[in-house]
Amino acid sequence: MQLLINGRHHEIEHGDEPLLWVLRDELGLTGTRYGCGVGICGCCTVLLAGRPVRSCQITAAEVGDRPIVTLEGLAERDADGEVVALHPVQQAFVENPLQCGWCLPGHVLTAVALLARDPAPDEAAIAEAAKPNLCRCGGYNTIKAAVARAAELARES
Amino acid sequence: MSAAKADPSDPVGRPRRWRVTRRRLLIGAGATFGSLLVGAPIVVEYGRPTLVQWMLERGTGPTEIPESSLVWFELTRDGITLHVPKIEMGQGIHTALAQIAAEELRVQPSRLTVVQADTARGFPAATMFTFGSTSVASLYTPIREAAAAVRAMLALAAAGQLGVETQQLTAADGTFQVAGTDRRIAYPDVIAAHHGPWQEPEEQPALRPAGEFTSIGRSVPRVDIRAKLLGEATYGYDARLPGMGYGAFAVPPRFGAELQSAEPGDAAGMPGVQQVVIDVEAGFAGVVADTRTRAWAAARALKVDWSDGTRVDTGALERQVTAGDGVVLRRDGSIRDALSRGRIVEAEYRTPMAAHAHLEPLAALARVEPGAVGKVEVWVPTQSPESVLEDLHAALGEDREVVVHVTQLGGSFGRKGGQHLAVEAARLSAATGRPVHVGWTRDTDLRQAFYRPPTHTTMRGSIGSDGMIRGVEQRSAAGDIIWAVAGLPEPVRSLLGFDPGGLLGLFLPYDLPAYRLVNRREQLPVPTGPWRGLGLMPNTFALESFLDELAEAAGTDPLTYRLAHLRQAGEQQERLRTVLRTAAQMAGWSESLPAGRGRGIACSGDVGTVVAVVAEVDLSDGRLRVTGLDVAVDCGLVVNPAGAKLQAQGSVVMGLSSALREELRIHDGQVVSDNFDSYQILGMADTPPVRVNFVGGGEVPFGMGEPVVGPVPAAVANAVRAAGGPRLRSLPLRL
Ligand code: FES
Ligand code: FES
Repeated sequence: MQLLINGRHHEIEHGDEPLLWVLRDELGLTGTRYGCGVGICGCCTVLLAGRPVRSCQITAAEVGDRPIVTLEGLAERDADGEVVALHPVQQAFVENPLQCGWCLPGHVLTAVALLARDPAPDEAAIAEAAKPNLCRCGGYNTIKAAVARAAELARES
Repeated sequence: MSAAKADPSDPVGRPRRWRVTRRRLLIGAGATFGSLLVGAPIVVEYGRPTLVQWMLERGTGPTEIPESSLVWFELTRDGITLHVPKIEMGQGIHTALAQIAAEELRVQPSRLTVVQADTARGFPAATMFTFGSTSVASLYTPIREAAAAVRAMLALAAAGQLGVETQQLTAADGTFQVAGTDRRIAYPDVIAAHHGPWQEPEEQPALRPAGEFTSIGRSVPRVDIRAKLLGEATYGYDARLPGMGYGAFAVPPRFGAELQSAEPGDAAGMPGVQQVVIDVEAGFAGVVADTRTRAWAAARALKVDWSDGTRVDTGALERQVTAGDGVVLRRDGSIRDALSRGRIVEAEYRTPMAAHAHLEPLAALARVEPGAVGKVEVWVPTQSPESVLEDLHAALGEDREVVVHVTQLGGSFGRKGGQHLAVEAARLSAATGRPVHVGWTRDTDLRQAFYRPPTHTTMRGSIGSDGMIRGVEQRSAAGDIIWAVAGLPEPVRSLLGFDPGGLLGLFLPYDLPAYRLVNRREQLPVPTGPWRGLGLMPNTFALESFLDELAEAAGTDPLTYRLAHLRQAGEQQERLRTVLRTAAQMAGWSESLPAGRGRGIACSGDVGTVVAVVAEVDLSDGRLRVTGLDVAVDCGLVVNPAGAKLQAQGSVVMGLSSALREELRIHDGQVVSDNFDSYQILGMADTPPVRVNFVGGGEVPFGMGEPVVGPVPAAVANAVRAAGGPRLRSLPLRL
């Protein structure tokens, strides 16, 4: 079967496996990360048809033909795959970095989805959207600042 | 950046035969210990750096690899690479170390590429051990001296090329300029034009005075964040090699259980299973499969028998850790006299076991070449490459060449210092002849770990008619930390009667006419070990809660009371007074709060750094909500304010998580809180604004990775009491 990931079709073998492991192990897209396997931590977040989804909680087969976006698919790239420009949310996290970074998929992709539906979220909306994702390094204050900055950058661009 | 995917075609430099060193770096046996006993900041002296003349001509390899070095500079026409021994787990040290080097090299920090050193290039594993918040502090001067010397060598070459004296050259932004002229030469051009050996400066060049710093002290961007945001960084769980299989192995059902027998059972016939590997003598039964989930399922299907192990539960462990008799670590004045009069205040405090709960579970990739002495190569997220090396030698044979590549670490907090899956991955690779990656599930990661040990502290103090403390008797007990993972034989440990890790935060820093401290260490039937700050946070919880109880009994404001007992001369006390006053000022300590709300303060010192925290809580709806935290830190010179602030905020969140949530529960010899539903860590919803101010400054940096975690739970407990709530004496705090 095929999956549509970051704008490209990929042939995959293990449709019965959680999407997380198909992305990471079959396709080598290790930007989607594993933290708990039970839907709590958010490290495995991808965008499925634009909405943040925990890829440990669905099988690849369940995705069907809905488009998937992972951390690898956010930046603008040239024909050779070189990064031309970071996504505004990535840029905001460069300016407001977290620590070990293992949790970034959850925070970044959740923010991408938030800004798509609400380009000017207030603090409460940012906190509400970011709430389900853990960060053991404790970067919660920074995450809020980064998402607010991302909204600014997205509006400017 | 150490971001490259593990790829065999990517040369890792000139592998050299590893010399097995028995020069094991004893964790803190000198450092932690000595410094604490003398009360001095911990400075880990690995010796001075050997300045490495490792300047590459294009296309040629390193001219020499020294036996022991702390930091390498690699300069080519294409740029400057800084090879650092210390491991990045989110502390931001690679950024800080680049800034320090850039200062003396006279280049922008962004011009440096920071690479994690590894043993493939002959880096001694021991110097890579990353622990105890010592990296920046211990490397600060060595890196500056080495960088200044590298610059001087470039200057000597440049002067020759330009036909001028070195004194005529000034260096800025990676370029030398001849004073009074517009003649310039950029570093890469100096390197390109240079032939023959490099000349070393005769003397150590002078270091730049702090007042002229352009790089140190600035919030330069983190060197590692971009790759992490693009999904390009390689963590341990991400390491891959072509043809790699996925490994998993049977784990004991209870602590202390040992493998008695093992057979493939149903595992052999399960889908995707390529091989079952059993070595009962080594206590190992594992599988290799074509996907990770199939490997996990097959490992569960192995037919394994275990010895019973321990049946202990949380309650029994806590009873074992009971303060009472022990070794007297402090005896100032006459405690009997002090406690025979005045008003007596007594209290006892407990902290539970806790997990590190780093979000990246343990993982390792191994490739073992065929034959009894085939080379072993592993990619591991570890704080301690040397223990990986030693364990691999012990398990697979001392004669093997072993290469340890350190990946990025998705958090660690002490856990990845002593535990890794390299041996298991290597066993499976050796048996199957292919590279094998092993990654743990979250529940295995939480069950098979070592943990922050429980603590119990009883305090007895007496207050004179003037309200001042007459004396304190403190009895502390804790499970082992350092002794649990390294060090001396048990008889020696018993004789000492304390664990060096348990000493952190153990001593009251206040003026006390009489002070008696009796300590007791316990070897528990479950694995315990280093957790961020070691004993610092549990001990500070007891001491700083008790200080508030004394202040309350004396009818004095807790800040005033602390300051009144920090009057003796001494730099440490002066610094404590400063952070206490600063945190209080930040929080508006003297402004009154509505009913149901309150503020609490606490302070501590560790690795040279002193910290005070003010917590504000709101109990008005019957729940404990922390609404804000103000933190004042004196960590000496701050190399990267933004990075240090992240470390401080992260430490506060981790401390708050322990204060409000964390409790590792054990039943029937096994951890039952084995995922984030039963082992809850703090989320965004419960994290208030954390404001941080750095005070103090100074010539050199002290540790920033751990100290700030210290006072957090005590500050919150004190705030609960101030808000009219009960005095809470055990963690997690529950109304
Ligand atoms: S790994 Fe999917 S939510 Fe934690
Ligand atoms: S940055 Fe480490 S878990 Fe979030």
